[in-house]
Amino acid sequence: MGVRKAQKAATRDRVLGAARDLFHEIGYEETTVRAVAERAGVSVGSVFTTFSSKADILSQVMADRVDALQEELARVVPYLRGGTADRLCSLFAIHYDFECRRVKLFLAHIAASFSPSLEPTTVPYGRNAVFRGMIIDMLVDGVARGDVRPDADLDLVLDTLMAAYAWNYRLAAQQGADATALTAAMDRQIQLIVEGLKPRPAGYGGI
Amino acid sequence: MNHIPMRMIASPAVRPAKPTRRALAKQRTREKVLASARQLFTERGYEGATIRDIAKAAGMSTGAVFASFADKTELFDEILGNDYALLAEAMTDASESAATAHKALTDMFAVAYRFHMDQLPLLQAGIATSWTRTEAGEKRNREALKPVMKLLSDALRGGVERGELSQRADLRLIAGVIWDVYLANYRRAVFDGWSADDLTSRLSDQIALILAGAKA
Repeated sequence: MGVRKAQKAATRDRVLGAARDLFHEIGYEETTVRAVAERAGVSVGSVFTTFSSKADILSQVMADRVDALQEELARVVPYLRGGTADRLCSLFAIHYDFECRRVKLFLAHIAASFSPSLEPTTVPYGRNAVFRGMIIDMLVDGVARGDVRPDADLDLVLDTLMAAYAWNYRLAAQQGADATALTAAMDRQIQLIVEGLKPRPAGYGGI
Repeated sequence: MNHIPMRMIASPAVRPAKPTRRALAKQRTREKVLASARQLFTERGYEGATIRDIAKAAGMSTGAVFASFADKTELFDEILGNDYALLAEAMTDASESAATAHKALTDMFAVAYRFHMDQLPLLQAGIATSWTRTEAGEKRNREALKPVMKLLSDALRGGVERGELSQRADLRLIAGVIWDVYLANYRRAVFDGWSADDLTSRLSDQIALILAGAKA
């Protein structure tokens, strides 16, 4: 790697590290690009050669975290036992545990995904194909196991679960709820949804 | 004997106040500010619209704005509150004659989706702020949503009474998930260009799924 490229990569890492820490310590809105540059020990100008805006920085910070979260999931998910509800509970518990370590990042990320002035390069919250795939796989296994009826619209279930998962973070935002509390809320929602997915006895009329 | 003494009727405490010219002017200012604010919030989102710009668009000083609103959040919350009041009325009409809980819920949210699709950016800004609201803002928001939430729980209670849903169903849990899913669907409009009808159709299926978990 040429010197220039190496420098650019180093700047990128320092900026992202500084931004991640500041967004977590004082909040996303409260953090200025100048403050990030200072913490990273670089000039504001060099920040803007790598990132187009503060929102772009946030989206890169979140993108970098995805690998770490995926690693944690990969370590646990293949060894999960129990019914579909139990497995889903465990999966989301890992998500909550991970994100709640720096919950302000997640809150800023999900808020930004609703902003009318969204960056075109951002992968908005909720569109990560790997995470979505994991949940679908669990539901497919559930069909094989007989927990989940074969005619269930899995995409629909996925969206419903993701909605509940995301909106539980309001508890963190408004009441300072921790990962345990969010997981407990999600568990109840999962029980409700999975109850509705149970195969119906033959001759049952209704959805 | 119930007659009220004349001197009490004549005293200022009992006489209905006539709106003074000053009060009317203040009301007009408020309305102008709310109108400009709504437009700017819709165009630029919550962060993008400043009090200075809103004041300018309304043709007044920032001081005049602050005379009516303590801060930007209060202003934004009032706009949303006004919308929810209107929406609650429309949703009530829509769900009144529904024969099942599923239909009542689908119909009332169909109204909500149509209402907000006209001003999607404003709705987006409203959702975006739900993760950064202060305690006071959260209180205001809960108050503003009360009539809508009541409609939601009434529809579910009707379902229990009619024997569609289990007596043991946790209605609060169900209402919460339905509301979460209703809001989350707006992302399809934002990112995938879905119409109000598309959103309603999707939500209808999701409500059926959720209610299936609480069948009688």
